[in-house]
Amino acid sequence: MSGERLLNFAIRYGFLILLIGMVLFFSFAANGFASPRSAVFVLQSVAITGILALGVTCTLVVDGFDLSIGAVATSALMLSAYSMVILEQSAFTAIVLCLLMGAFVGLVNGILIVKFRVPDLLATLGMMFLLIGLQRIPTQGNSIATGMSLSADSVAEGVFSPAFLWLGRHRFDLVIERLVPVPVVIFLVIALAIWAFLSLTRHGRLMYAIGSNERAAALVGTPVSRYKIAAYMISGVTASIGGILLAARLGRGDIASGTNLLLDSVAAALIGFAVLGAARPNAFGTVVGALFVGILLQGMTMMNAPYYTQDFVKGAVLVVALVFTFYLSSRRGAGGKV
Amino acid sequence: MLRRELMKLACATGLAFGTGGLALAQDAPAPFDNPQDVTIALVRYLSTGDFFQAYLSGVEEQAKALGVELRVLDSRQDAALQADMVDQAIALGVDGIIIQHGLTESMKAAAQRAVDADIDVVAFDVDVENDSIPQIEQSDYLLGKLALEQAIKDNGDSFTAGYVYVPGIAPLDRRDVAWEEVKKANPGITEAATFGTLDNPIANSVANQARSVMQANPNINVVFAPYDEFAKGVKIAVDEAGLNQDIDIYSADVSTADISAMREPDSAWVATVATNPAVVGRVSVRALALLMAGENVGEQVVVPPTLITQDFLNENDIKNMDDLSAKMPQFANADVATAEWIPVPGK
Repeated sequence: MSGERLLNFAIRYGFLILLIGMVLFFSFAANGFASPRSAVFVLQSVAITGILALGVTCTLVVDGFDLSIGAVATSALMLSAYSMVILEQSAFTAIVLCLLMGAFVGLVNGILIVKFRVPDLLATLGMMFLLIGLQRIPTQGNSIATGMSLSADSVAEGVFSPAFLWLGRHRFDLVIERLVPVPVVIFLVIALAIWAFLSLTRHGRLMYAIGSNERAAALVGTPVSRYKIAAYMISGVTASIGGILLAARLGRGDIASGTNLLLDSVAAALIGFAVLGAARPNAFGTVVGALFVGILLQGMTMMNAPYYTQDFVKGAVLVVALVFTFYLSSRRGAGGKV
Repeated sequence: MLRRELMKLACATGLAFGTGGLALAQDAPAPFDNPQDVTIALVRYLSTGDFFQAYLSGVEEQAKALGVELRVLDSRQDAALQADMVDQAIALGVDGIIIQHGLTESMKAAAQRAVDADIDVVAFDVDVENDSIPQIEQSDYLLGKLALEQAIKDNGDSFTAGYVYVPGIAPLDRRDVAWEEVKKANPGITEAATFGTLDNPIANSVANQARSVMQANPNINVVFAPYDEFAKGVKIAVDEAGLNQDIDIYSADVSTADISAMREPDSAWVATVATNPAVVGRVSVRALALLMAGENVGEQVVVPPTLITQDFLNENDIKNMDDLSAKMPQFANADVATAEWIPVPGK
């Protein structure tokens, strides 16, 4: 009997205990780790992947998957740079364009999956390649920066507007001056919003219902297609927000495939399954998952660990988390997602 | 000097009539006396990114100036496909091939097949282990060396350094040789931390790492980041930490975006060393043309790098790569693999 209670305890709190243990370890082992600034770095380094991960969580909830988020983010990065530097538009226009682009990509993904019955992985994989190519067409594969030569002896005169850069670079005072960067605040706000949406509203619960049994949900009158499309649109919009913040931090339109953004955010969402023994996608778990990876990487960098050990550890964490989710939860009898 | 101007004029006229350098054809050796019958192929391994884009534009410019036809075969980092593409070029009956990057193991045999088919071949930044194939190189070793010499000039021979490095990437490995050498020669230089990642977008991932490194090692005053994406990342971290007065960044490579980053007020990025990728592209074509005309270009054709300091950029109000080429002639044109009969593209 006590064995079972121990198991339940391990499933529920194992991951959080691991997280606290890791923080304690690095506080002693890594010089300068235990400080408010250091904590903020962790948050900042996971803010962008965290935002993407929250979007992918929504698609996981309806039993879907979105492989295009990394490409949406880098497309938003290029689009914001293009509209400000080459078209010389305001920050507001750039942001609106990016959000619309994200929503539109999500809509197309959703329609491909719901109406044309393309499997989710394949539809979003196609979209990923399409976007990686598309974002390079306007500049013939070049990165965008002020002063770049355009055709016919003209030079790109536009600049990243200060209001836009503020999004990536400004820091709010919190006890210490200039402590909390804007992306961290946006990350936390989105996390709260998605958590509230998924666990407190009727819409969120219907989305979980679709995820666990689509047919049953449809039979009781849920507009399944609409909710699925909505999930992909949320994912597209959050990914474009991630891209906007990335552009604001970099201050230029960098050519990038976004593959690492995709992998890191999917890892965060999957690790999230294991948090509190939820065994299903959830916003709180995703945030903890992202933090977990962020703290690990920050601590290891401070201890001078080379990059390949970091990939190794990231992979190990993911595997352990998946074992938590699928094996331990199935033994508990409550059953996981499957 | 006058002669060069005349040649440019002649070349420009030739281009204007769409016959590309025909005006010069009479004194060009075979096969360039009939350039329209000459086809060369560029077989690429790497193509994504500003450097490779600029390299390609250099190849295109020089091919156009010579009046030859250029075929671009792009394997997009597929080593096996790149080798197949060399065979494809042989089948197409091209007269010359430029192999741009690739892996020694996969390209060695393919390059030999091209040589056996009586095709002239040059290789850029890949060693195909073949005596009849000249190597075009932008000297990565010198790139690192010049940047570090500037660091020592600015900071004296003892400082605490952060070093950004990812092993296993050929140009970075060659730049690393310079770093190891300089460290050995100057015991006053301490390497407080080595970090680096190629996670995409690189600048963002490196910025995250650099933040942690600077937090853990507040005594770092020089960062050697011998790749511009690394330097960008470090600069973001330095700005975020408000340390831009305390840390100097030395890097390699340059682009328009890099120039604006170096010229930001109080920028920590004080110097970079670079070869102009477009020039490297032109040199590749010129070396191939010389080889096809039966001239000896030697085993190695090295395009020398140029030191670009923040002060120089500010003094000359340089805003982009074109300004840089205009103000820095040694950057705009390398006096390498030239001949009277080869027109130099440009304004």
